[in-house]
Amino acid sequence: MYDILIKNGLVIDGAGTKAVLSDVGIKDGKILAIGENLKDGGQQVLDAAGLVVSPGFIDPHTHFDVQLLWDGAAKPALEHGVTSIIPGNCSLSLAPLKAEDRKTLIGMFQQIEELPPAAFTDAFEWTWETFSDYRAAIEGDLSVNVAPLVGHSVIRLWVMGADAQQRAARPDEIEAMQDLLRDCLNAGAVGLSTSFVDVDENARPVPSRFAQFQELDALCAVLGEFGRMLQIVPEFYDTDITIARIDQLAELSLKHKIPTTLSPVFDNRQSPNNVPRTLARIEEQTARGARVWPQMQTRPIDISFSLLRPSLFFARLPSWVKILRLPVTERISALRDPATADKLVADVGEDGGERLMGRLIVRGGGEAPEHLVGRTLGDIAAERGEVPARALITLSLENDLEIAFLAANGGHDSTDRIGPMLANPLVHIGASDGGAHLTSFSTYGDTGYLFSEFVRKSGALTLEHAVQKITSEPAEIWGLKDRGMLKTGYAADVVIFDPSTIDRGIERPVFDMPGGGMRYVRDSIGVDTVLVNGQIAWAKGAYTNAQTGQICALA
Amino acid sequence: MSEAVVLAADIAAGHDGDAELVVTVRYENGVVGVVSLDADCAFDIMQSCGAASSADLVGRSWHEVLKGV
Repeated sequence: MYDILIKNGLVIDGAGTKAVLSDVGIKDGKILAIGENLKDGGQQVLDAAGLVVSPGFIDPHTHFDVQLLWDGAAKPALEHGVTSIIPGNCSLSLAPLKAEDRKTLIGMFQQIEELPPAAFTDAFEWTWETFSDYRAAIEGDLSVNVAPLVGHSVIRLWVMGADAQQRAARPDEIEAMQDLLRDCLNAGAVGLSTSFVDVDENARPVPSRFAQFQELDALCAVLGEFGRMLQIVPEFYDTDITIARIDQLAELSLKHKIPTTLSPVFDNRQSPNNVPRTLARIEEQTARGARVWPQMQTRPIDISFSLLRPSLFFARLPSWVKILRLPVTERISALRDPATADKLVADVGEDGGERLMGRLIVRGGGEAPEHLVGRTLGDIAAERGEVPARALITLSLENDLEIAFLAANGGHDSTDRIGPMLANPLVHIGASDGGAHLTSFSTYGDTGYLFSEFVRKSGALTLEHAVQKITSEPAEIWGLKDRGMLKTGYAADVVIFDPSTIDRGIERPVFDMPGGGMRYVRDSIGVDTVLVNGQIAWAKGAYTNAQTGQICALA
Repeated sequence: MSEAVVLAADIAAGHDGDAELVVTVRYENGVVGVVSLDADCAFDIMQSCGAASSADLVGRSWHEVLKGV
């Protein structure tokens, strides 16, 4: 008898093969059988009629390192069907880390993740210094599977102390970093992450950016001993430098026989050749035998701003720029001045800003009044008897400028262009940044958006192909052993979802971070049940008490 | 050989949700490239070269613009 028998589902195995009506039998956390009309029965039977049964989704670019210490489900990632996550990206992991370096690392994490200070002081106890002890700290309470990267910046910090953020390493220090990385890989790290872009809370480059190539080469030699991944954040704002990084990754991949990945890669109208040129170089290097995987997110990027900081949203409005660059107190005084406000409104054009500002959305969080959240500025302005530009000013003044507005789909938003890119066999779907940018935008629900936008709406991918791109492909790229497919003997990470409705919900603020800190989230839509290693972790809109997540075994 | 000039200056969403200025430049050798600037940098160069708005950057010498960085 199976522990769980899933009946009558449309089974998509993750390998890209066509969906078939079938049953799935699960026992002891593994898939025991797949076939029509399985007879042995189950202690628990799930009727999946009309629903897809697929492998659990894998998110290869997250920053859940801290959240996992109090939330082993990495909420709300799990309810979107994500059963395995890879934290520790962008050169930053929580281990290895000496006690005296905690404050330094907290600053870097706060910069990237936007976690409230209480997350580091109230939510958990620092019980570890080594990577294996960090693993032990999270391992018992996991509801999702975790394949943690170790960060280059923290390895530097361990070996070099404060000098890690000041200079290149000496040969003896590089050797010490190699030994430390080897320890981390032996403790289960899936690879090494590094960054050529990120900064700390004081806008100083993170330690990994002080490394010379010899250091990265030496660390990749250690990765080569294990065949593990190198993840980098390239200078993604510049196509030529990104291409140079691709060449560098290709050399490291070929020399040390390792997989490599770069994230993020974006498309936008202003630089339409960026992705085509990037992918062309990836294609050339792949043909040479290099393994270089560009990660691309599915979701568009929204522009968010308030009048607290000057935003380039106003870059074509000189009078607005002039006022918004004033110190805050002077800025508020100027905005309160009727003549100045009249001029600002006049300068947006005869429509009072309807075209430019009417579709801005009031964001939750901050000081935004609840009844305005989610509504368009045009709608609110009409209700107040104002034009949108005037409403933008008055609403901001009424809330001490702490009211944020969102201009949806400001970049990476052309479904017609991005669909074929996501379908490209050389493109690794990822770069969600789950668990980061908490107070800026939601990093959850990219998988639902993949199905709603690129399967149902545009047809750029078939259902089977979309499932493959976020299950067996990432499992193979990252070397996650026995995951990513519905196959006998594989881990029973399973998502049951409605292919006609799966989607991401609207972005909304919640205050569930330690100390009541705010973040933006999106609820899942159309996901019926999520199983992790054979146990139901989420079903019918609620989390269970299952804590069957594991540190992923590696191939 | 002609000097490098700004061909376009557009606003786009950056990785972190902030608006960025995407400047398209034609360099001396004829190559056209794109540079993304964050808000502080973009406002600084606009102020430095007396551009009232991002649109005013179009047609200017790229090397003159860079002096504001």
